[in-house]
Amino acid sequence: MVALCVVLGAVVLLLAVLVAGLLRSHADILKALHDLGAGVGDPVGESGHDHAASGRDSGQVAVPLTMGPALAPDRDSTSAPAVVGVTPTGDALAVAPASSGGLTLLAFLSTGCASCAGFWEAFRRPDHLGLPAAARLVVVTKGPEREIAGEVAALAAPGLRVLMSSDAWTDYEVPGSPFFVLVDGTAGRRIGEGVANQMSQVAELVRRAEVDATAFSLDTRPGRDVGLDGPQRESANDAELLAAGVLPGDPSLYPKSLEDLYGPPDARMPSATRHVRRVG
Amino acid sequence: MHAHGIGAGLPSGFEGRIFKRQGNGIEVTNAVAQFATFGLPEEVGDFGGGAVQLMGNNDIFAVLFEYGAESIGTRLFAHQGMPRELATADFQPQVLRRGITGQAGTQWFFTESGRPFTFYAVIGSHARRSVLVPRVNQLLAGLTVEPAPAPAGSGAPWN
Repeated sequence: MVALCVVLGAVVLLLAVLVAGLLRSHADILKALHDLGAGVGDPVGESGHDHAASGRDSGQVAVPLTMGPALAPDRDSTSAPAVVGVTPTGDALAVAPASSGGLTLLAFLSTGCASCAGFWEAFRRPDHLGLPAAARLVVVTKGPEREIAGEVAALAAPGLRVLMSSDAWTDYEVPGSPFFVLVDGTAGRRIGEGVANQMSQVAELVRRAEVDATAFSLDTRPGRDVGLDGPQRESANDAELLAAGVLPGDPSLYPKSLEDLYGPPDARMPSATRHVRRVG
Repeated sequence: MHAHGIGAGLPSGFEGRIFKRQGNGIEVTNAVAQFATFGLPEEVGDFGGGAVQLMGNNDIFAVLFEYGAESIGTRLFAHQGMPRELATADFQPQVLRRGITGQAGTQWFFTESGRPFTFYAVIGSHARRSVLVPRVNQLLAGLTVEPAPAPAGSGAPWN
């Protein structure tokens, strides 16, 4: 009986020592995490708690925590910095989509990702991409230090503009491939970005953006249709009217009331009614 | 950007490319550097054919074109060093290789770092040369040329 009590006492004592050791270890871990800024609340805002100083006092080394390279102060989510790099054949290439004057589609692709393979293949048939003729396509891979130029060259279709630049992936905060960024060179900013699985999704994005850009653009570059004005506009209107059989002096050119423009009310209603019936 | 012994620190708004045409096995191709303030098409002639037609009034196209080693020491390339500060009077409409109304151009032949070059630049509007020429000078300030590498076989013989 006495022996059993002694053994039990020894076991209890041993367990007590183990628990005390675990508690101390846990406290050390919590203290280290707190010194690294992972404590509850904002440790930076706590007065009188200098992490570096506390680290020096205790003989520990302060470890800075960083979430990634910070963007330049003049950058925001819509800025479109120039993309500078090399081609798979070793030439240098710099593209400035923000000042190109048109739409530029940056396609961030890799040689190894399975989802990218479809796009590399689609780019071999540029006539079937569905992109507007005015849109410029630029494929951006990571730089030669991360991608094998020969593999990129093998995947790239002849005539496809391919640029290798890891910095561009950082500048445009590309989360992974495939990733697409659409830049309006007239407005000088990116107007769309995201992931797509099929070329048709990308083409639809670009097509809608082009419609918007054309509707609101004040660009005056030659070759861009900015509409007619002055005598040219008058001549074009005359040609349209003549083609429709409306000659000079035609009464329809000089309406005196709404009926002259739209016809009598009785004549307008039936057509609307017919339209509703057809739809119904 | 840097390739083929040519470096360019591009001013804001410029894009460019430095390349060599694919050789045919007989003809030796040299470095060509093209720069523009507008989107360069994929196919552009060495001196801007296919590109200058797209220029707006505020645009600039420039090319640094290298000639073959046989041109070194000729009178055309006697001037040593690339021009770094052009004047507005240096740009004239009659200098254009493609005469497009309103545009003006300039062309210089020189030897830089032992390599013969011509620098040809076009501005979209001769009337706006006081605004555009300083931008050309900004581009020139950022251009660097390294000496050509020694041709193969020019080293000391092994035996």
